[in-house]
Amino acid sequence: MPVKRMIGVVLDHGIAPLLLIPSIILLFIILVGPFFYMFWTSFTDLHYALPGREGSFVGFENFRRLMQQDQIFWHSFLLTLKFVFWVVTIEFILGFALASLLYHYIKQQRFILTLLLVPMMLAPITVGLIWKLLLQGDFGMVTYYMRMIGIIDLRTAIMSNASLVMPAIMMIDVWQWTPFVTLVMLAGLLSLPKEPFEAALMDGAVRWQIFKDVTLPLMRPIIALVILLRGIDAFKEFDKVFILTGGGPGIATEMLSIYTFRINFKDWDLGYGAVCAFMVYLVVLIMCSIFYKAIYWHEGRAKPAKVKIS
Amino acid sequence: MKKISLLGWFYRSSVYAAALFVAVLGSTNAWAWSLEEAAAPYKGTTVRTIGESLPPLEAMDKLKSEFEERTNIKVVIEMYEHSEAVSKVMLDLNSKRGRYDFILQPHRELGRFVKSGHLEALEKYMNDKKLRDPTFKPDKQLYQGLWKEISWYEGKIYGFPFTALTMYMWYRNDLLNDSKEKSGFKAKYGYDLKPATNWKEYTDISEWFYRPDKGFYGTALQGKRHEALWYEWLNFLYSFGGDMLDTKSGSECGPVIVNSPEAVASLKYYKSLMAFSPADTLNYTWDDVMALMQQGKVYQLIMWNDATYAVAEDHEASTVAGKMGFDLVPQGKGGKVGQVEGWTYLVPTYSKNKGAAYLFIQWMMEKKQQLNQHLNGGATARPDVYAHPDVQKISYSKASMDTNAVALPKPTIPESPQITDILVRELSGYLSGAKGAQAALDTAAAEISNFLGSCAPLKYPVY
Amino acid sequence: MTAVATLVVVLVLFLTPYLWIFLTSFKTRLDALADVPVWTFSPTFEHYPKIFIDKGYLSLVWNSLNVAIFSTLLSLSIGVPAAYVFARYDFAGKEDLFFFFLTTRMAPPISIVVPMFLLFSLIGLTDMPIAVILAHTTFNLSLVVWMMRGFFADIPREIDEAAMLDGHTRGGTFLIILLPLASPGLAATAVLCFILSWNEFLYAFILVAFESRTLTVGIPGLVTPHGTLWGQVAAVAVVATLPILLFTFLVQKHLVRGLTFGAIKG
Repeated sequence: MPVKRMIGVVLDHGIAPLLLIPSIILLFIILVGPFFYMFWTSFTDLHYALPGREGSFVGFENFRRLMQQDQIFWHSFLLTLKFVFWVVTIEFILGFALASLLYHYIKQQRFILTLLLVPMMLAPITVGLIWKLLLQGDFGMVTYYMRMIGIIDLRTAIMSNASLVMPAIMMIDVWQWTPFVTLVMLAGLLSLPKEPFEAALMDGAVRWQIFKDVTLPLMRPIIALVILLRGIDAFKEFDKVFILTGGGPGIATEMLSIYTFRINFKDWDLGYGAVCAFMVYLVVLIMCSIFYKAIYWHEGRAKPAKVKIS
Repeated sequence: MKKISLLGWFYRSSVYAAALFVAVLGSTNAWAWSLEEAAAPYKGTTVRTIGESLPPLEAMDKLKSEFEERTNIKVVIEMYEHSEAVSKVMLDLNSKRGRYDFILQPHRELGRFVKSGHLEALEKYMNDKKLRDPTFKPDKQLYQGLWKEISWYEGKIYGFPFTALTMYMWYRNDLLNDSKEKSGFKAKYGYDLKPATNWKEYTDISEWFYRPDKGFYGTALQGKRHEALWYEWLNFLYSFGGDMLDTKSGSECGPVIVNSPEAVASLKYYKSLMAFSPADTLNYTWDDVMALMQQGKVYQLIMWNDATYAVAEDHEASTVAGKMGFDLVPQGKGGKVGQVEGWTYLVPTYSKNKGAAYLFIQWMMEKKQQLNQHLNGGATARPDVYAHPDVQKISYSKASMDTNAVALPKPTIPESPQITDILVRELSGYLSGAKGAQAALDTAAAEISNFLGSCAPLKYPVY
Repeated sequence: MTAVATLVVVLVLFLTPYLWIFLTSFKTRLDALADVPVWTFSPTFEHYPKIFIDKGYLSLVWNSLNVAIFSTLLSLSIGVPAAYVFARYDFAGKEDLFFFFLTTRMAPPISIVVPMFLLFSLIGLTDMPIAVILAHTTFNLSLVVWMMRGFFADIPREIDEAAMLDGHTRGGTFLIILLPLASPGLAATAVLCFILSWNEFLYAFILVAFESRTLTVGIPGLVTPHGTLWGQVAAVAVVATLPILLFTFLVQKHLVRGLTFGAIKG
């Protein structure tokens, strides 16, 4: 394959960093360019639906509006933070547990794993529609059995209830994305080298000790990766929430992405929408930077050559 | 001498007669118009359009082959979901790409497009002898109220109605005529069971049929945070004598009156109906209440004319086909009122085939095509189609026509969709118990007034 | 045995909604919306031909495949070598550049898509599948680079050294030794890229013409004001998962491998 040969040649001649260039070029043109346009737009009054708003410079007007007047934005912000915290935590714990289960105990991993991945394979829009059907108050299958078991009573319908809606959405997200965590963690477990484990066993370590002192440190980069990826994606959660509730009842599920969507694609207030998006971006950037520095990337892998057995 | 003058007279008369004859012949030729001739300069072009994938658009998709054969103009129809169709058009118009030669859009978007200079006023095409079919007389052949509401803006013509949707009351006719129901109802409420004509009756009837243990409900609200809520509530708002803006036509800006006492009363009444609705009513749009009626679980609803076929006539999809009755929305202080929601044909300024597009639109507005569309789930704006026997046979034609006649204009100013969004958010908040009715409408009114600017002061100030 | 029991419970929870949708694709509207869930019913086979043949959604399947396969290939061929560089080399600003790759994922697509649309209009690429393929690659690249760096990093440097002692060049080491060793990660990454691209909605909707729209973009059209066509939605959902199931199943043999490091060292 010519591509492979090219890569080989580049590597052989010690100019490996050149291999980074295609990705950087692609990202810069297709992504960074539009990003800066968006950033610029946040300083203008661009509006597609109102006449006379062709994008003239308005300085910090949009920022001021966001900070001082927009209570819904901050409500959405807190709501999204809560959502991200809960779903990432639950998905991580469940996903890791499931991956360990598969790794240690199950032989036909290939087949089982394919089945487990099914929730993730559905398009987020489809997930929204499926759960809309399942949780509907009158002909939803899940609602029916929940009422039968007694989790909710006959006069309660989950999607109409402002206090039940958010937990329901979180549950659906866990259902949808735990397979993702499972997949990545399992791949990680499968690529761990065997010696540290053999060494620890020879030293007489117990199962949970091995887990704590060998598995976890070795898995650290993968764990960080999964949490970061899920966290970022959860922040942008849109499709299924929009279909299920439209942000309602009231503003009980008005996530940031839904609010931004409304401003950009319903009101077509692109200038203000850009500020909202930029704010979201900034927050995610800051949070990820902090997290990233806290779990500093290890080159190669940690070297747990000696396992301390007390 | 006499002989010569007689001959002379005869000669002169025949010259005059001949001249007259030629003149008449000539003028008739100038008015002989055929589609094939008009389309000749556009032969081989492709006309592309976009709209919401509804039955009338699908009907248009089937009808277009006749047009294509006659004119050699190809017609491509892109079908999308409602908000997708709106988004794609907005992007196309603002980027001035000119992908679409004509478009089908909800009439509330009209203000946005006109004020930004995106649309062609159609008068010049209508006056163009080469394009205009003399048998097409929209000022006589269309319901003027509908045409002006849906396709005119600030006194100019921008299109023709593609479909005109209305809402009216649905009820279970079979239960209405059931003797046990009739006697029981009369015993409890003191008057005969009949289609509700005012809101007190609507409440009584809803209460009478509210039987949750049997899985049957009096009514259902489209209470989800979705436009369906706004549309449904408008019926109540208008019926109670309220409105959103104090204006005479849709393209005007005027004082905000959405937090008037009438409006608050209508909202409180609207919420009171939750007591007779299924538990999940705050999750419903037109989709869900329609399914509810199809499954025979609710007695009366305020619903759309274009959803009626699937409930009232389609035996495969509905358990209550043939059992439905229809009437105007109950009357309150505002008297007989209704609302109209239309999709209109429009021609963008950046269209590359304006003439050809106009020809197609004009052809679609002919009686034959309009009848076909109407019988296939559309809602025409031509009275002669409504008068047709096939259409008369449809059980809900009368309710549709009556509502068309009393429809109030909705705002079509550029800010209109945003007004709707603000209201939907506040209405949903009120219904879910997050705030009171006056507070919700006050917040909405203040925000709308603020957004519209000086042309829309608050008539009922908020403190 | 508790392990198996747990697994069964988890599988039931994960798969029941999918099973329900599968059943729904064969139900009439009345059965699909019955208030007591219907598990046995007389099936109708009308939904599949109606949506895929009458409405022409079969061509949407091709469009989706086109976009997903090419964006996965593009992301992998650009991203895997980049990940290798991060895993094995040091240079100034490396960690910052690496973090940059992650930040490309953070910008909300909702705001980026309109300028992207304008950009593609300028270049004249709107309405062509290549626009979406490129757009999908932008978010898949971060996934590929981040995941593959981790998997390459997990392979000890001793293997590289041993390979070079055996006479392989740097390039050969990468291609012949490391790629196969990293195959579980590669498989997982490929699957994820494919799934994310196949299911993506916003970019596919805005950037591509009606004729080349993907299956995901075709779904909202089934939620009509005349009622959501649940049977057809279900049919599309079922068919949409088939290529992914197939792809995942095929690629998974790389996930489960029995190589030990000892074999190479010896």
